[in-house]
Amino acid sequence: MSRFLSVLIHGFWKDLPPFRLVLGLCPALAVTASANNGLGMGLSVTFVLIFSNLTISLLRNVIPDKVRIASYIVIIATLVVIVEMILQAYFFGLSQQLGIYIPLIVVNCIILGRAEAFASRNPVFLSAVDGLSVGLGFTLSLTLVGSIREILGAGTWFGNSLMGADFQPFAFMIRAPGAFICLGMLLGLMNAFSRWRGENVIQN
Amino acid sequence: MREIAKLVLVLGLICGISAGSLATVRTYLSDRIEKQNDLFVRGPALELLLQQPALAILGNKLILDTPDGPVTLFYKLDSGQASGLAIETNGKGGYGGDISIMLGVDMVSDKLLGLEIIKHQETPGVGSQIEKGVFRNQWLNLSANDPVCLKTDGGTIDGISGATYSTNAVINGSQEALSIFNNSKDRIRELISQMDSADQNPLSN
Repeated sequence: MSRFLSVLIHGFWKDLPPFRLVLGLCPALAVTASANNGLGMGLSVTFVLIFSNLTISLLRNVIPDKVRIASYIVIIATLVVIVEMILQAYFFGLSQQLGIYIPLIVVNCIILGRAEAFASRNPVFLSAVDGLSVGLGFTLSLTLVGSIREILGAGTWFGNSLMGADFQPFAFMIRAPGAFICLGMLLGLMNAFSRWRGENVIQN
Repeated sequence: MREIAKLVLVLGLICGISAGSLATVRTYLSDRIEKQNDLFVRGPALELLLQQPALAILGNKLILDTPDGPVTLFYKLDSGQASGLAIETNGKGGYGGDISIMLGVDMVSDKLLGLEIIKHQETPGVGSQIEKGVFRNQWLNLSANDPVCLKTDGGTIDGISGATYSTNAVINGSQEALSIFNNSKDRIRELISQMDSADQNPLSN
């Protein structure tokens, strides 16, 4: 398989965040009370990830080793503030819902992790593809967790009522404990699936 | 020495470019952000205070220059006369920073139309109780000519126990709004009639 393809698809299973990387758990637990929030958070992170990978890869020969982390943080913080302003200007409701978790993307380990592990030693185009792949993987995971929690916890999906009027939502799914249980179940299922396929299961 | 100079230079350059790009994005988007804020944050508050649809009121925006800086006002017209006013101020001294409030004043009877909290960062469950109707309704129908005070200070407002800072910040904000109203009532009327006649004259747009 060519390098390009393997970079393009690695974020969807092999390095799927947050399940396989077990990074970026804070937003995955905190904002996934609805599918909509999960999707919004995922896309915000994807935007930051693509452009931070791109910029860092572009500057990888300019940034001195000693101040690389500081430089990365400045670049990531700039992008996050841009995302925050775009959300406020065009998706105000979503930005109110996500609240503090948008500024917190700055300290999201996935972004710094990809910058350090990939973008700082790979060419610009591949780095952007890596950002896209990992970002979309994250978006899918968050939307999945959000969907499960919203459907079970509120009986709706993206705000549309799914279940009949008789449905009694188990409200704890949209509270904090539901997030842990949902994420843990999915993580367990994925590990079981990997083991069944004979892949190396990451020992956490 | 040369190495340190290089580190400083590169980091400084990155920070400079970041600041520049942020400023650019901000200038492009600030108008739109302000509009969204008007629609989603101020709009619902204005609807409650002035009893008219948000879209009708949001156009009636006035910036009043006071010695303490610009103040945002919204007004309501009844048959050409300014009848209601919403004054937005920042109440200083909240537990989590300033509390942005909006005070509605009836310009005919000088009675208060109510109080709305626009933005706050108070502790959820404690200071955030300032948002509750039980607390805010105490402002209804008070006279705009008397200062708003806590009962302990000889006024009529019951504070929220355990949330003294938040209560005080809201009171401070109300006092500020009232003093703006009482000090520049005539100036506000004048500005409103200017705005109104400008609206009716298509050439002035």
